Amino acid sequence: MKLAIPDQVLLQMEKPARYIGRETNMVKKDPKDVDIRFAFCFPDVYEVGMSCLAVQILYFFLNRREDTYCERAFAPWVDLEQYMVKEKIPCFTLETQSSLKDFDFVGFTLQYELCYTNLINMLEMSGISAWASERTEDDPIILCGGSCAYNPEPLAEFVDVFYLGEGEVLYDQMLDRYKEYKKMGKTKAEYLESLLDWDGLYIPKYYDVTYHEDGTIQSFTPNHPKARPILKKVIVKDMDQVFYPEKQLVPLMDVIHNRVTLELFRGCIRGCRFCQAGFVYRPVREKKVDTLLRQAKSLVDTSGHEEISLISLATSDFTCFSDLADGLLNEFSKDAVSLSLPSLRIDAFSLDLMQRIQEVRKSSLTFAAEAGTQRLRNVINKNLTEEMILNGCKLAFDGGWNKVKLYFMLGLPTETEEDLKGIGALADKIVDQYFEIPKEERPRPVTVTASASCFVPKPFTPFQWDAQETYESFGEKAKIAKHSVTRKQVRFTYHNTKMSSLEGVMARGDRKVAKLLYRAWELGCRYDSWSDLFLWDKWEQAFAETGLTIAFYANRVRPYDEILPWDHISVGVSRRFLMEEREKALRAECTPNCREHCSNCGAKSFGGGVCFENVSV
Amino acid sequence: MRTYRFKYTKGEELKLLGYLDMMVAFQRAIKRAKLPIAFSNGFNPHQLLTFASPLSLGYTSEGEYGDLRLKEELAAEEVKERLGAQLPDGMELLRVTAIGDEAKNTMASLVAARYRVTLPKTIAAEGFGAVLERFWAQKEILADKKTKKGMVQTNIKPLIFSLQDATKENKAAMEMVLAMGSVQSLRADAVVASLCEFCGVPFGPYDASYHRIDLYQQGQAGFVPLDEEVPLP
Repeated sequence: MKLAIPDQVLLQMEKPARYIGRETNMVKKDPKDVDIRFAFCFPDVYEVGMSCLAVQILYFFLNRREDTYCERAFAPWVDLEQYMVKEKIPCFTLETQSSLKDFDFVGFTLQYELCYTNLINMLEMSGISAWASERTEDDPIILCGGSCAYNPEPLAEFVDVFYLGEGEVLYDQMLDRYKEYKKMGKTKAEYLESLLDWDGLYIPKYYDVTYHEDGTIQSFTPNHPKARPILKKVIVKDMDQVFYPEKQLVPLMDVIHNRVTLELFRGCIRGCRFCQAGFVYRPVREKKVDTLLRQAKSLVDTSGHEEISLISLATSDFTCFSDLADGLLNEFSKDAVSLSLPSLRIDAFSLDLMQRIQEVRKSSLTFAAEAGTQRLRNVINKNLTEEMILNGCKLAFDGGWNKVKLYFMLGLPTETEEDLKGIGALADKIVDQYFEIPKEERPRPVTVTASASCFVPKPFTPFQWDAQETYESFGEKAKIAKHSVTRKQVRFTYHNTKMSSLEGVMARGDRKVAKLLYRAWELGCRYDSWSDLFLWDKWEQAFAETGLTIAFYANRVRPYDEILPWDHISVGVSRRFLMEEREKALRAECTPNCREHCSNCGAKSFGGGVCFENVSV
Repeated sequence: MRTYRFKYTKGEELKLLGYLDMMVAFQRAIKRAKLPIAFSNGFNPHQLLTFASPLSLGYTSEGEYGDLRLKEELAAEEVKERLGAQLPDGMELLRVTAIGDEAKNTMASLVAARYRVTLPKTIAAEGFGAVLERFWAQKEILADKKTKKGMVQTNIKPLIFSLQDATKENKAAMEMVLAMGSVQSLRADAVVASLCEFCGVPFGPYDASYHRIDLYQQGQAGFVPLDEEVPLP
């Protein structure tokens, strides 16, 4: 296979292995032998995209079809991009080094909002107009899925179809119909129209939006008799029966996560009120331990990786976690395969497990405390108390750990100065906890890192109506938090406040945001999630030129009767429930998790998962 | 316990893969092949797997070597088959030989390397043989060499063991054997840079294409490939 870029050019680029494909387990097909060519795109650089589980799952899911060849494309890094633009070389797939324009479908997975300009860039580089209305029958169908697709509106003018939900559910029928229509000589437009038959697929051109003078939405209405007023996400009911790849792509170069990933369950029982994933992926659906052990063995055997990562929103909540951990340790400890357990709650059980899996190397412990005081943790329904954190630290320090990482958010609803000062106070208490160990038993100095991100209200959370702080205010809050630290063992860092503001606009943006995105792209913005490439002055210019403001999208409280840009989409959790949760938040009242008590969020309507675990008569 | 010496290629497909990534690819291939690889002792055990010499990014090769140590003895042919099946496309296992424990490892044995270099277009294929003869006839062949003190002009002629015209299909090319090992080493592109200067054409690090043909150790009668004249078990 000839590379799209000459060797001499690639040799001058940073990490040329990003562009050569040929990874272990890459699927090889001849495009001439298939009916459907599908370009699966990740709008960021290779090593980020290749660490994404969605890429691994859907790549093999689509390629299990003989009539389809799914290839991958990533955003070229800025060095190569510059050359490609100059030489008019289109964005290309790794497998056959083909231009995105040669595909039937170009599908993007949207994992975070600040990748949107990369999506525009990848299309435009390939000679595909980013504007859906300017594309013709010769252009591919542009699809988007992933967590950001739940508020599709900022990209609605660019994308033909948004897939709302889990890929395993609808792709087969979508591709079957595409093949059928192609054979019958029907047009792309006819195909898109036929997709109105199914729930879970949002086709923006079949909906019209009008606005009030103040910019808020006046009406959002279907303009086609078959277009549903409300589109509901589609999800897998039985996680043991659903397809999971027996092997995963193994990159030849170093990527962010060099490991195989085992997905334990989807959804989360916790309902932390700031967390979009905690609502949009409901209800919790687990795999059985047997299924997981079988999948783990196959993944390790076919990859040669030395690490297997257990992925889910809250690993400790897996009901048979102890059985699973024992099973995995039995199977793999003799082969020098280690387990990685992100998102683990720190308690005696998990520390014991961590002792067993990483006998010598003591990495740092992480607590997502999120807020500095118990009151504010109650507001966000984070059921983690100071006592639990300090007890966890005590156990860990006794066990030989000496590094603790704390995650906080600045600008949560109802936050006061006391909450901000609580960040430093908590970090200091952890240091004190360490010094309770007798001096002669302290092996190394203790370090506590407190990292603060800036709260971004997200759609489908109880805070979807709330105002985000301005970036100036985030900066001041960060200063208060920083100054509240007194111990020299504590390091305080915080996230780029302007990037968080922009994320706030994208997260809750409407269709008008498209022109902002496009203008920013024209001015040279892309890779906005990379702080060293983030061009704030260009974004400011784009806001000014398009007449949009951060204040309108991010910094105002939206009344309950305002039509939200994502109101035509349902993730199963009712608006009523989110409103109740918001009111409880303001009273600092907690809501029990799904296993303690069903709060009737609405996700039961999917007919599976945790909602039916303990059906008592 | 048994040590095996293997010879492998790095083809066009993988010339853009760095040396460290190539080593990791080998480690993973060994795991997938389920070879009973031996591990080092210590806090972070690693596979007992060593390579003769790094191959620069952009180079291809048909003569790379390494040693691996297995906990139990397998037929060399079986090792070749199982490991060969798991290597990425573009890496081919050419030969696997079981060697004696007293054998020096590849890195320590290495003294020279043979290259074929296809030269930049600015050097004409026609009459290249004569140019190369004049180049070789110089009393000293000067080249920039990186030393601890920085770039220094040195005479590299003693490090060039042979230099031949290999022009083919109207492309100027040369084949050469250069010193390579722990005592003295010469990079292939240093010779090309010197040649470019001799010809009065600019040297660009990416203009020529470099191919390694083999790696040598000192044999009884001259250089021999690293997997020949090795003590057997």
